[in-house]
Amino acid sequence: MEDYKFLFKVVLVGNAGVGKTCLVRRFTQGLFPPGQGATIGVDFMIKTVEVENEKVKLFIWDTAGQERFRSITQSYYRSAHALILVYDISCQPTFDCLPDWLREIEEYASNKVLRILVGNKIDREDREIPTHVGEDFAQRHGMYFLETSAKEAENVERLFMEIAAELMEDKIQARSKELPRYETNTTSINGKTTSIGDTSNCGCSRLS
Amino acid sequence: MAMIRCCLETEVPDVFETLVRKCTDPGCCCWCCSALRPRYKRLVDNIFPVNPQDGLVKNNMEKLTFYSLSSPEKLDRIGEYLFQRASRDIYRRRNGFVVIAMEAMDQLLVACHAQTLNLFVESFLKMVQKLLESTDPQLQILATQSFVRFANIEQDTPSYHTRYDFFVSKYSAMCHSNHNDSAIRKQIRLAGIQGLQAGVVRKTLSDDLVENIWEPVHMDKIVPSLLYNMQNSRYSSKEDATPDSPTEGRSDPPQFAETCMRELVGRASFGHIKCVIRPVLRHLDNHQLWVPNYFAIHAFRIIMFSIQSQYSYTVVEALMTHLDDHSKSSPKIRTSIADTLSKIISIAAGESVGPSVLEIINSLLSHLRVSVTRNQSSSNDEQLYQEALINALGEFANHLPDYQKIEIMMFIMSKVPYSQPDRVVSVGKGDVLLQSILLKSLLKVGTKYQTIHLNTTFPPSFLEPLLRMSLAADAEMRLLVQKIFHTLIDRHQNIIKLARPTVNVAQLDLTIEKASRPDVIFIRKHGPEIYLALYESLELASNKVENVESIYTTLALLAVELASEETVLELLRLVLSLQDLALTSSQISVSLKFNLHAIVISLLVLISYVCNITSLMDYASKVVEIRRKEAPHLLPDLQSQYDTGLSSRLAPALLVDQTVLSECLKGAGLDSGKLQQGSGYSSISLQHRHSWVDSAGRNSLADINSGATELDSGGSSPGVQKKLPGEELTFESMKRILTENNNNHIIEEEKRLQLSHLFRNAPFQDLVSKTQPKHDVLQSKLSEIFNTLSVDPRNTSQPGGPSADTKPSQAPAYEIHFPELFFHIKDKNGIWWNSVSMSRIILQHYLYNH
Repeated sequence: MEDYKFLFKVVLVGNAGVGKTCLVRRFTQGLFPPGQGATIGVDFMIKTVEVENEKVKLFIWDTAGQERFRSITQSYYRSAHALILVYDISCQPTFDCLPDWLREIEEYASNKVLRILVGNKIDREDREIPTHVGEDFAQRHGMYFLETSAKEAENVERLFMEIAAELMEDKIQARSKELPRYETNTTSINGKTTSIGDTSNCGCSRLS
Repeated sequence: MAMIRCCLETEVPDVFETLVRKCTDPGCCCWCCSALRPRYKRLVDNIFPVNPQDGLVKNNMEKLTFYSLSSPEKLDRIGEYLFQRASRDIYRRRNGFVVIAMEAMDQLLVACHAQTLNLFVESFLKMVQKLLESTDPQLQILATQSFVRFANIEQDTPSYHTRYDFFVSKYSAMCHSNHNDSAIRKQIRLAGIQGLQAGVVRKTLSDDLVENIWEPVHMDKIVPSLLYNMQNSRYSSKEDATPDSPTEGRSDPPQFAETCMRELVGRASFGHIKCVIRPVLRHLDNHQLWVPNYFAIHAFRIIMFSIQSQYSYTVVEALMTHLDDHSKSSPKIRTSIADTLSKIISIAAGESVGPSVLEIINSLLSHLRVSVTRNQSSSNDEQLYQEALINALGEFANHLPDYQKIEIMMFIMSKVPYSQPDRVVSVGKGDVLLQSILLKSLLKVGTKYQTIHLNTTFPPSFLEPLLRMSLAADAEMRLLVQKIFHTLIDRHQNIIKLARPTVNVAQLDLTIEKASRPDVIFIRKHGPEIYLALYESLELASNKVENVESIYTTLALLAVELASEETVLELLRLVLSLQDLALTSSQISVSLKFNLHAIVISLLVLISYVCNITSLMDYASKVVEIRRKEAPHLLPDLQSQYDTGLSSRLAPALLVDQTVLSECLKGAGLDSGKLQQGSGYSSISLQHRHSWVDSAGRNSLADINSGATELDSGGSSPGVQKKLPGEELTFESMKRILTENNNNHIIEEEKRLQLSHLFRNAPFQDLVSKTQPKHDVLQSKLSEIFNTLSVDPRNTSQPGGPSADTKPSQAPAYEIHFPELFFHIKDKNGIWWNSVSMSRIILQHYLYNH
């Protein structure tokens, strides 16, 4: 039962009402709760998925979007392996706040965190933010990009699966890099700098 | 032998029983090999009933416990197996079995010895985590209960730091539970708090080895979670005193969160306090809980009550820094923060000592200053903010020992910007505001201070600037200073009784105590300074009725507090000079003069009452009687406006007469000589007060520059200048005085020569006839001689000079000219003659002729 090989912490952030909780519910429980109330503080879900025949356990921390819970939600960023920044494609203000969120992530999250921009509610007719605008934004800030619909279950599964796969790959790479470093101390400095360069410049086209 | 039999007896049917039972269970797929399974697995399997509703199989559980106790090396496998079973059951949603598995683990945990637990604990914690990960609230609550039980076990090496982060995160999340069912929500929240308290706080704090829960990562989760729950308590919405000690309540999330908060803060060491306070402040900011600030106060009270008292001032410090951070926020928020500060500062004050006290005061003062400079137009909110700060200051001072209060008062005084009273450049408006704010805070501190000895209350470095401030240009400010004096001088709660002048002293029911020795010494030393400052303060034309009244109160309090013979004289002298002031001053308005008369008589009545001098009392009441009949406006109450018809010229009967006073004093056996010495606090009396040696030395300078001498005494006795209102101290006028004096000298010299010439040349008979008469006619003889001198010295020196102008400017010069040692004679031209030199001339002449 407890035979998972990897454990990753994923934190969802974004303005209130963009559908963070619904995304998580759709993914973990396969349902779309219509009258979902506002999250208070933080909520927690788990899901174990299989990537390349390896079991990967995802701890999903679903944070409250409301301003007043900012202090507690920020404290969850630090330990996160991946941060999903969600906005509502039918609501311009939620998109306009993204730079603020990035600043916060910059400040509180670890610098190696995997960042994914998600435009939710693509089932809605009244789209305000075209896909390419979101894509541009993601590209500029070195993030992955995906548009989803929690209601229609569109791209939700894919979102988390890709995250799991990406995190796993990073982990494996990191492990393989770590091994020689312990063995030969002399080459470490060069190796290290290149590895940092690699991770920070990670491309953003894979998911979209 | 018996032992073996016993073992066999229990063992054999056991195996058999298992087989039978397993066979009846259709869900068991491996019944056939169950007998071949390891023993610990069989034992574990046996504790589960067929039907989960039946609960744990008790006697089988005992067997398992016995087994694990007798072979502790198997404990880790038992734990592992139990965990595996439970996770399978969770996966299959057979919660009944999960509960049983958890119960079994609990029992094993309690039963086993601490040193053997280590390996078992690992699976136990995995189990707890597994349950917490599930979405079923019941399982989460169950897990928490087990975790708490685990936390209560004394353990050598806590081994759960690997899961630590998860526990903190999960329990914090549970504290914020938003379950639809309110009962379940409450339970989950309680479980969350419990998990934080028992498991995380209690368990990890008792051991240094485990992860540091004071890391901001953890505190930022724990503290807001607790606060969020506390927010719903009854204190958060209304003003209610926070109890000192926690009231243990485990059924109510707010109550329980509060208990947990107290425990957390109580365990915090110096370095960790900031880690607790910072999230608190951020939480209050984020949830906008500053306005209204009931919850903020509640939360901070809890912190202050539970914190280790030696650290309590760091909380105050943190709150002040937060105030700094909020310097851009609305005044409302700042007011609330300052108010919170004032509410908690008293709790901190008892413990803080040394530099931290001054630091706190200093930072409060600098906040005040910033507030003053920020908002010159001072909106209402800003004023409230300043008020709140001053309150905080007062609260803080209130809880300090007395000697520190004096220090603080001196400290505040040193921060007051003040200008020299004689400086033309006045202070800016902001400074005036700051002055008054600082004085207000000083007053606040002063009211908390209980004077014992005046000399400790008023060290010179404090008294001096205070007296200087009492002459400030702003009437409001002077009023404040007087109020400070009131509160500091009064020791017997007489302030209210003496707040307004009255002639019915007997009705006031004053508390009077004989002045102590140190006080008398104090007043002997500093009394003149104080009286002079008060006198000068009364001289100011901008005084209002309140000012006069407040000065009266100061004087009356002094009289009551220092009722001794020695001080009475000084006071009476002051009273007389006040009357003089009222009669002679050209600066103050008529109504102010009437006010002065009123306080003169009030003070006289009070002094005579306090010192119990009957004759003086009689005299005072006589004057009161006359005034009541003829001039009621000279009696209290004071008015700001009197009938315009009232003349400022007064009949002598209405006034207090110096000679009568001195007679009364003599009658009471007091030395009234001092009273006669001078009429009081004008410049003359001041010079008498200086030691004659001093003044003689100064005056023996050949070129007496009277202006200059007056200037140096100006600091302590500006009255000298006040006496010469029209005079300007310019270079020209100095020069004039100087040359004038020189002329005088020349003329005198001339006169002396003439005189000696006369004596030398006149026939002896004449001289005999002139000198023979008794000495008391010397003056008349001399004036005769002077009459022969045709030249008037003044007219020669300044032929066209307007005499009205020159006269006042020369008057002090004459007085200074001759030290008081000498006996002076004034001729009818207003020229002073030194009798010593005069008689020497006469004697010389006499000897010469014989």
